[in-house]
Amino acid sequence: MIRVRGLYKEFADPRHGVFRALDNVSFEVRPGEIYGLLGPNGAGKTTCLRILSTVLRPTRGLAEVDGINVVRDPEGVRCRIGFMSCNTGIYDRMTAREMVEYYGRLYGIPEEKLQSRINEIFDVLQMNDIRDRLCGKMSTGMKQKVSIARTIVHDPPVIIFDEPTSGLDVLVARAVLQAVAALREKGKCIIFSTHIMREVERLCDRIAVIHRGRILAEGTLPELADRYKQPDVEELFFDLIQRREEEVASEVRQPEGATA
Amino acid sequence: MSWKNIRLVFMREVRDQLRDRRTLFMITILPVLLYPMLGLGIVEMMLTFSEQQRVVVVLNADDLPQQPTLLEGDKLAEAWFPEGRDNPSLLRILVDSQVNESSSAKTVAKPRRGQKTDAELLASARVLADKIQTLHGLHGVHSTAAPGFAQDAAAHDSAKAVLDVAGLQEEISQLFGTSGFQVLVIVPDGYAQSLERMQAAIRDESHGQHTSASNRSAMPPVLVIRNSADDKSAVAFSRVQQSLRAWEDAVREKSFITANLPPDLQHPARLAWIEVAREEQVAASVWSKLFPAMLVIMALTGAFYPAIDLGAGEKERGTMETLLISPARRVEVVLGKFGTIMVFSILTALLNLLSMGLTGQQMAAVVGASAKEMVSLEFPGLAPLMWIVILLLPLSALFSALCLALATFAKSTKEGQYYLTPLLMVVMGLTMFCLSPAVEMTPLYSVIPVVNVALLLKGLLLNAPGSENLVVYAVPVLISSIGYSMLAIWWAIELYNSEDVLFREAEKFDLRMWLRQLLRTKDAVPAFHEAGFCFIVIVLLQFVAMTYMKPDLNGADPGLSMMRLIVVQQLTMVACPAVFMGVLLTTSLRATFRLRRPSMQSMFIAVGLALIVHPLSVELSQFLVDHRVFPELPESARQVMMLMKAGEKPTWLMLMVFAVTPAICEELAFRGFILSGLARGGRLAIAIGISSLMFGIIHMIPQQAFNAALLGLVLGLLAIYSRSLFPAMAFHFLNNTIATLHAGEAGRFVADGVFFSRDAEGALRYEAPLLILCSVAGILMIIHMIKAVSKEQDLKRRGIIAAYGEQPEVTQPATATV
Repeated sequence: MIRVRGLYKEFADPRHGVFRALDNVSFEVRPGEIYGLLGPNGAGKTTCLRILSTVLRPTRGLAEVDGINVVRDPEGVRCRIGFMSCNTGIYDRMTAREMVEYYGRLYGIPEEKLQSRINEIFDVLQMNDIRDRLCGKMSTGMKQKVSIARTIVHDPPVIIFDEPTSGLDVLVARAVLQAVAALREKGKCIIFSTHIMREVERLCDRIAVIHRGRILAEGTLPELADRYKQPDVEELFFDLIQRREEEVASEVRQPEGATA
Repeated sequence: MSWKNIRLVFMREVRDQLRDRRTLFMITILPVLLYPMLGLGIVEMMLTFSEQQRVVVVLNADDLPQQPTLLEGDKLAEAWFPEGRDNPSLLRILVDSQVNESSSAKTVAKPRRGQKTDAELLASARVLADKIQTLHGLHGVHSTAAPGFAQDAAAHDSAKAVLDVAGLQEEISQLFGTSGFQVLVIVPDGYAQSLERMQAAIRDESHGQHTSASNRSAMPPVLVIRNSADDKSAVAFSRVQQSLRAWEDAVREKSFITANLPPDLQHPARLAWIEVAREEQVAASVWSKLFPAMLVIMALTGAFYPAIDLGAGEKERGTMETLLISPARRVEVVLGKFGTIMVFSILTALLNLLSMGLTGQQMAAVVGASAKEMVSLEFPGLAPLMWIVILLLPLSALFSALCLALATFAKSTKEGQYYLTPLLMVVMGLTMFCLSPAVEMTPLYSVIPVVNVALLLKGLLLNAPGSENLVVYAVPVLISSIGYSMLAIWWAIELYNSEDVLFREAEKFDLRMWLRQLLRTKDAVPAFHEAGFCFIVIVLLQFVAMTYMKPDLNGADPGLSMMRLIVVQQLTMVACPAVFMGVLLTTSLRATFRLRRPSMQSMFIAVGLALIVHPLSVELSQFLVDHRVFPELPESARQVMMLMKAGEKPTWLMLMVFAVTPAICEELAFRGFILSGLARGGRLAIAIGISSLMFGIIHMIPQQAFNAALLGLVLGLLAIYSRSLFPAMAFHFLNNTIATLHAGEAGRFVADGVFFSRDAEGALRYEAPLLILCSVAGILMIIHMIKAVSKEQDLKRRGIIAAYGEQPEVTQPATATV
């Protein structure tokens, strides 16, 4: 469903000339699976997911969603994905229903189908009591529900969650995670980024640990625990990152020594 | 592009804005309420202001003649206010005659706090009168009414007199300021008798009796003192002056009658002024000034606030990313937003104008009741209103697109709002320029943004005879405005496609860090903004030089000093900044200034093009001048040209100054540093376009600027095509050489009439067959270059050869890829 091969992304950075946010990233996600991107802040998770959602263009490499190249046909890709992050805001001066309706129409869903779909989603997410409330007057939890409804209104085969629980309280975060799990049951292909270990343990079928733009390890949780002889996910995560940091430090030292 | 999506975005944005109380307030409530309130306030203030009474002191009023009487009680007589245009009661006349002094003391009410009593006023008036008469004496004006003063004055020696004059003037001004009255009239002693004597003398003379001339010249003047720097005094004075003139007419008439002369004689020339402006035309001239300015400003502000909300606001609230991951294309999003902003811009402008117009009409009606001399502010007719709407469309489109682009560029709403002031300043400057009555529509103005709409609207609203011809200009105005709007929309779409604009994060700015960074992280070629900065430096230097570096036209050899200046200016203000910045900011001068060996082919093309382009550019600029697209050359430029012609300098010197120097200096700057910087992003067409625009701008005079911009396109293409500066230099040198020789050659060349001819002034001109040949050859060469460049670009894009800027030293010469 999602295929990423040798993906690079470089940004012009006033301080260092070029900043490499993604460095030869490759992975695949299959339908009915939740793939976790685990990494600290600034690891390149958001960049990677933004490339998949076509808002950023890759510098090099291949990214495909449902067999469609994100560079060649970005509109086609956007029709097939649902994207939700803590950044994807909702309009304050629209009601929940208008908000979801608006996006449904942008996705080109026929009007009758759209109405029944909205009713269905609102039932499932238990948001019928807030359907005509302005989003600006909602609590964070309600807003997050609207956001999820917006993400799945066109019933996309691929759903991308970029740290969907960041900044949420435990109750709301739990509801979001439940919604994600429910989507897997429907056979969606889900990619989920986070820096919270607990979420990974509970939710993800496979994970990739990413740091400084590079995937450090990939596999199911038991596989990783086996490979690195470390049953605790958190310890495993720290170990991997530590090792990468040391690598980077020596990389930086080496060329400096060479030029001096 | 799907219209459905554009409509969806548009409808959502409009609904969103309508739900925003601030927007609603700005576009509807504010204009609807503000203007009537302002109007009411102004009317009230005007009413209270105009009721204010001013005090005029008349000293020695008893000596005024009985017939005709100037004063009536404490007012000027009603008769001296012709046709009741003014109200005599607005002036209170205070006289010092014994009769009135006793009576007025009784009748006049106790003065209010801060006001002086009549006695005080009179006292200060007398002191002032003394001083003034002394001053008059010092000036040597003979006043028979005050013979004592005149003698005193004569006694003063001249050096002291000068001193006294300054001191006295200062003192009088002081006294007048604190006196409490606004105008002082001093009637000289024995005025009435003198007048009678003079009238008698005239009568006698007309009866054939001879009288001495001295009798008549003995008429002393009535002094009227005012301070025109003080508004109150100026207003009171104008009233006094008017009525005194009318009174003087009456005196004259009486003199004529007593002399048995026909009273008609007092206006022997018999002038009559006839006003042909109808009332609605007077109104039109008021509106023609106000409406274009208001329309421009309101269309801008009406576009600006929604644009900030739709652009930077969406970014700030995070809804932008949500929208970007929907299947709507960027074009559709931009067009939807653009439509929304335009609707609000138009609504704001129209509502404001409507409200202002109606308020003005109402105000005129209210004020007109009390003052008859007020202009009527009838609302413009249907045709002008239609023009307002038609011209508002392109104007709003331009502002909406521009504001949307700026708002998209801004990181936050706060940053967005900072862009309003400069934008407003520029637009206001352009509008103010149009308000001047001397500025009229010309072909050049009809393609300048904002100016074109404002000027056309002004002309059409003025409704003067001949304004029908202006309608012709509607075509270029509309076309150019739509063109500018499309450019701005294109810019907005570009911004939406640019990921670093959409995901720009606010970074802390540290000047020291930035400078260190600038010098440390150098590249082979300059960055885009460094190229822009270089241009700004050159322009600023030129601007400064305009005042300090004027050729000495009165010197021994003005031509030579002029030429020296040109060389100095080229070296210090064009070449130096570019070379200096190149050394400082780049690592490879070779790459920055394209100091590579050109291929024979490109040199060949450069020389050929220069020969071909010359006749075309001569004829094109002549054509544009003949059709008055550009204004005539300014006097100073023409003077310089005459000097050049008349100067008869040796040819080698002329060529050094006008061909070699610019070819080296300007090419180093514009095709070297600036073009290298601009072209770094790989967008060569835009880079060439901008660099040639810049090249045009530094040539200042519109005609030359236009020519230079066109040549800049060719030069830029040559530089990019050949990857070398030398062909461009060769082209520039040859072009200037031919132009210099063309201006200086005096009939050495044989005009055969088919290809060449001579115009009335003897200058060599080129005929159609030659021009067609040149155009064809030129177009072929340019197409060849464009093809070669775009092929190379294509290869770079596909990564077959290194991209521009990344690796400037490509081993493969460019021509190999052709």
